[in-house]
Amino acid sequence: MNIETNRDNKMTLVNKESIKIVNKGDIALVEFDLPGEKVNKLSSPVMKRLKEVVEELKASSYKAAILISRKKKIFIAGADIEEIKRLKTKEEYKLVLDEAHLIFNALEDLKIPTIAAIHGACMGGGCELILACDYRIATTDKSTKIGLPEVKLGIFPGFGGCIRLPRVVGLQSALDIILAGKSVISKKALKIGLIDKAVPAELLEEQAMILANEIVSGKKSKRQKTFKAKGVANKLLDGPLKSVVYKQARKMTLKQSKGFYPAPIAALDVIKKTYKKMKREKALAVEVAAFCEVAITDISKHLINLFFMMEGIKKKTGVADTSVKPLPVKDIAVMGAGTMGGGIAYVAADKGIATRMKDISNEALAIGFGAARKIWNKKLKRRRITKYDLDQKMNLISGGLDFASFQSKDVVIEAIVEDMKIKKMVLAQTEAETSENCIIATNTSSLSVNEMGVDLKRPENFLGMHFFNPVDKMPLVEVIRGEKTSDEAVATIFDLSKRMGKTPVVVKDSVGFLVNRLLLPWMSEAVYMLEEGCDMAKIDRYYTHKFGMPMGPFRLMDEVGLDVCVKIIKIFNKALGDRFEVPAIVQKLSESDRLGNKNKKGFYKYNEKGRAEGIDESVYTEFGVTKGSANIDEKQAIERGMFRMINEASRALIEEKVVETAGECDLAMIMGTGFPPFRGGLLKYADELGSDYVVGQLEVYASKYGKRFEPSQAMNNLAKSKRSFY
Amino acid sequence: MANSPNDVVIINAIRTPFAKAGGPLAGVHASELGRVALKELIAQTNLDINEVDEVIIGNTGSPSDAVNISRVIALRAGLPLGVSAHTVHRNCASALQSITSGFDKIKAGVADVVIAGGTESMSQLPLIHTKEFQNIFGEFAFSKTIGKKLGALKKLKMKHLKPRISVVEGLTDPFCGINMGQTAEVLAKEFGISRVEQDEFALMSHERAVAAQESGRLAEEITPVFLAPKYKKIIGEDVGPRKGQNMKSLAKLRPYFDRKYGTITVGNACPLTDGGAMMLLMSRKKAEELGYKPMASISSYAYAGLDPRKMGLGPAFATPKALKLAGLDLKDMAAIELNEAFAAQVIACEKALASDSFCQKELGLSKAVGEIDRGKLNINGGAIALGHPVGTTGTRLVMTLMRELKNKNQEHGLATLCIGGGQGGALVLKNEA
Repeated sequence: MNIETNRDNKMTLVNKESIKIVNKGDIALVEFDLPGEKVNKLSSPVMKRLKEVVEELKASSYKAAILISRKKKIFIAGADIEEIKRLKTKEEYKLVLDEAHLIFNALEDLKIPTIAAIHGACMGGGCELILACDYRIATTDKSTKIGLPEVKLGIFPGFGGCIRLPRVVGLQSALDIILAGKSVISKKALKIGLIDKAVPAELLEEQAMILANEIVSGKKSKRQKTFKAKGVANKLLDGPLKSVVYKQARKMTLKQSKGFYPAPIAALDVIKKTYKKMKREKALAVEVAAFCEVAITDISKHLINLFFMMEGIKKKTGVADTSVKPLPVKDIAVMGAGTMGGGIAYVAADKGIATRMKDISNEALAIGFGAARKIWNKKLKRRRITKYDLDQKMNLISGGLDFASFQSKDVVIEAIVEDMKIKKMVLAQTEAETSENCIIATNTSSLSVNEMGVDLKRPENFLGMHFFNPVDKMPLVEVIRGEKTSDEAVATIFDLSKRMGKTPVVVKDSVGFLVNRLLLPWMSEAVYMLEEGCDMAKIDRYYTHKFGMPMGPFRLMDEVGLDVCVKIIKIFNKALGDRFEVPAIVQKLSESDRLGNKNKKGFYKYNEKGRAEGIDESVYTEFGVTKGSANIDEKQAIERGMFRMINEASRALIEEKVVETAGECDLAMIMGTGFPPFRGGLLKYADELGSDYVVGQLEVYASKYGKRFEPSQAMNNLAKSKRSFY
Repeated sequence: MANSPNDVVIINAIRTPFAKAGGPLAGVHASELGRVALKELIAQTNLDINEVDEVIIGNTGSPSDAVNISRVIALRAGLPLGVSAHTVHRNCASALQSITSGFDKIKAGVADVVIAGGTESMSQLPLIHTKEFQNIFGEFAFSKTIGKKLGALKKLKMKHLKPRISVVEGLTDPFCGINMGQTAEVLAKEFGISRVEQDEFALMSHERAVAAQESGRLAEEITPVFLAPKYKKIIGEDVGPRKGQNMKSLAKLRPYFDRKYGTITVGNACPLTDGGAMMLLMSRKKAEELGYKPMASISSYAYAGLDPRKMGLGPAFATPKALKLAGLDLKDMAAIELNEAFAAQVIACEKALASDSFCQKELGLSKAVGEIDRGKLNINGGAIALGHPVGTTGTRLVMTLMRELKNKNQEHGLATLCIGGGQGGALVLKNEA
C-alpha cells in the first residue's frame, strides 16, 4: 500500500514537471523537461501528462502553442523502450497505442495552431509527435536529427508515423526514412518538407515566437500540411504510379534484410493500404493492428534486447571494481602499419585520437597511410566528410621507423606478425622505450597473452586488444585480460575501444579467446561435411539464406585465409585435444597452394576483379571427394555447425569463465562474426531450442560422427536441470 | 661565457628533403611541407604540445589559401588551439628571422618554448593576372547591366591575359629593378671572380653534399615526405646533389643573367626549391625543468643592411656585428654555414671579410675580419647542391651547423646568409651536445 502511494506520488511528480505550460500572453509555451533524466521520452506517465496538457490547451484562450524541449541536445528521444520491453501481448500493445493515438489526434485537432520547435534528437515517438503539429521548425545544430529508427528494433513507427509522415513529405521520402530506420539533419528535413524552417540554435525560441505571433495576428493559420509533388514524374509516383514505388521499395527492403526482418515489410504494407486511401482513424487502426503483430515477435524482443546490451556497454568500465577509472588516453602508437595496424590507426584517427605508426620500412608505413586515406576518400565522395575533415583526420596519423614519440604515448598497440618469438622481442623493446604508465596491448588473434607478457617488467600494464578484420567495419574488440593485467589497464583499453567506436567485451586469455574459439568448431565441421562429400555451395547457402549468417563457413575460411585456418586448427588440436581433431582435408589443404581470398584461390573461384564468384568445383577432385556422395539437409547442416558452437560456448562460459555472461557472449558473436542479430545471439538461439533438445541432438551426432559432438559437462548439467544459458 | 637560465637553447630540428621546384615535391603545399617537419619534430622530441608558447614560421610566398601559414601549420600538426602562431618575412632570412624572433621572445621572458621554422613551395608560387585584367574584371563584376558588362569586356586585349610570374617578380629587386642573378653579376665583376672559380666552388658543393648523403649525415636531419593521396611515392632525401658533377658539364652552361659578359650560370647558382624545416627553442631553465638536453645555444645574432645591388655581400656586413655581440672572432668559428645563393656571392664574401680595405671602408672596422677556411665552410655542401627554399633556408643552415658542431664536438659556429633587398643575417651558435 505504502509502496503504491509512493509510486503514485512519484508518478504525479513526473506528470507535473515533465511538461509545463508557460504563459506568454496569447501564446502557450509547452516545455518538455523530464525531471531526473538526461533525455525526454514518451513514457506512459509523460503521455498521461501530455493528455492533460492537450486538454488544458483545448480549454484555454491561447491562440497558438509552441512545443519546445528544455534538454540540452534532445528534443524527444522517443518512446520508453524499457516499457516496450515489458509489454507481452497484442492486447497490451493495442491499449498503449490506442491511448497514444487519442492523445496525438487531440493535439492535431486542437483549434489553435501548434508549432514544434526542435533542437537535438527528435526520434521515433518524438518525430511522430511533431508530425501531429501544424508547423515544425528545427535548429541547424549538428545534434538536431529527426527520424524514425523503429525498424532497427524490429518494430515500426506506431504512434501514427506510418500515416502522417507520407502525408507530410510524400511517399518516396517517407519510405526512405521509415523502411531503413533513417534520421535526417535539418538541411535534409527542410528539403523534403519535414520542417518549415531551419534556424540557428540560439534563435530557435525567438523564431518560434515570431511564427506564433504571425498566427496570432492572423497572417498564418491552422493547417494540415499535405505533400505536393513537384514535376510530372514525381506527381505520377506519388499518385497513379504509387505501385511502382511500392514494388521497388519492397525489392530493396527484401534485398537488404534478406527476408529475415519482417518489420519494414509490415510498415510498407500499412503505408500501401492507407496512404491516400483511408481517413485518419481507419488508417491508424490498420497501423495498430500491424504493429501488434510484429511487436510480439521474438525478432523484436531480440533486437530490443541487443539495444539494451549495447546501452549497457556504454555504462560499463570492463572491470567489477567501480572505483577504478580509465587512464586518460591522448596519443597512441601502433606497432606495424599493415592491414591491422593501418586499420587501427584509421579508427583511432577517425575519432580524433592522434596515432603514430611504427614499422620497419617507409614502404610499409606508406601502406598504412594509403589504406586510411582510401577509406576517408570514400567518405569524402559520399559527402559524409568534407575535405577539411579529411585533412584533419589524416594529419592525426604519423609514421616513423624508430621509437620517436613513444615516451609520450599513453597506449601502444602491437599489430605485427603473429609469431610469439618476434612479438616477445618487440614488446620488450617497446616497454623499454615507453613511459612507466604506458599501457601496451597486443592485437594477437591466436597467441597466448599470458605467455607473451611473461618476460615484461610491467605485466600489469599489458593485455590483449583484439580487433577483427577489416578493422574499420567490424565493431567488436575482445579485451583480453591476462593473469597479471591490472584493473586500470583493462578499464583504459575498454574505454579506448569505445572511443574508437567499437564494442568491447572482456575475455580471459585462452585459446582463440572467445569469438575464434566458437567460430572454429563451425568452420571445422564444414570441412568434415566436405570430406563426407556434401555440396559446399549448399552448406554456405543454408547458413546465409536460411540461418542469416553474413557468410557461410567456406566463404569465411577463404576470407580468413586457408593457411591461417590450418594453423589455428592445429593450435586448437594441441591445446584442446580430441574434440578439435584435425580433419584429413586440412592436412591436404596445408600442402596445397590454396590460401583463399589473399591469393584468389580457395574454396571459391575469383573473378578478374578479385571477387568471390561461386564454389571452385575443382576443390572436390583435388581433395579426393565425390561431390554429392553425401546428401545433407538444412536442419542437419545448421545443427552440426551451430550445436558444436553451442557446446563449445558452454565450456567457455560456464566451465572456464572465458567470458562473464551469456549476454556478453552473444554480443561478441553478433559484433564479431555478424551472427544474425534477429536471433538474439548464439546462446539465445540455444535457449529457445532448449538445452535438453541441444544435448539430445549432440548425442545423436556424437554416435554418428564421433567424439567431437559429445556434450560438455556444463551442457549436460543445463539439460538435466532444464536450465538455460540466460 | 657562463651558462644562464635565460640562455636560448635549441633542443632539436628536423626538415623535409629539399627538391628542385617543379620536381617531386611540386604538388605538396607549403603548409604541408611545414606540417610534416613539425609533426616529426614533436615526435622526435616527445614534446608536450601544451608547453608551446608561440609558433613562428618564416615564409615568403604567402600562399593565398594560407596567408598566416604559421597558424595553419601549427593546427594541422596538432598543436592546441590556444597556442598562438605568426608568420615572419625577411626574404631569404625569413626562417632565420623566426629563430631570432623566438630568441628575442625567450630573452625578454615572454616565452619559454618556441617553435621556429620555415617553409616554402617555390613550385606553387602563382601566376598573377595583369593590373589591366584585374581592372577590367573588377569593372565587369560591378557593372549591373549587360550593356555595361559587355563594355567592360570590350576593353580586354590579348596582352592583358599574359600572366605575371610571381616567382620572377619576387626575385627582382623592387628598389633598383635588377634581379638576384644580376646582383651576383655585379659582385663577380667588382671582385673579379672568374667563371672557373665559381664553377669549382659549385662542384665542391655537389661533391660535399653527395658525400654527406652517402655517409648518412644529411639523413640525420631529414624526415621523409609521403606523397598523398596514395602515399606510395616517398621522398626521403634531397633531390639536388648530383653524383658525378664535373667541371666539363658545368663549363657547358651558358651565363643566364648576362648572356654576353656574365659568368653566373644555373650551375653555379642555387635552384628554386621546395622544402620545410622546424626547430624547437627553449629557455635553458625550461629545458632543464622538462628534462631536455639541448644540442646548442644561441650566442648572438645580427642583421645588417647594404646596397640592394650588392645584396650578396650581406654576410660580410652581418657577421662582424654578430661576432662582436658574442665576444668572439671569426677564427673561433669551428664551422661556418654561409648560404650559397650564388658561388660568386660566397666568394665575394670571403674576399670582402679577408680584405683590410673593404672592412675599413665599408664596415668601419680597423682591419679585416679574417680569412674563411674552406675546410670549415659548408662542409656538407650548400644551397647550390641542396637548394634554397627561400623561406626555409635559415633553419636549414642553423640545424646543419648545430649537428656539425655536435658530430665533431666543436665549440662555436656561424650561420650567415645574404638577403634579397640588400641585407645580411648572421647567427653565432655554441655547441651544447
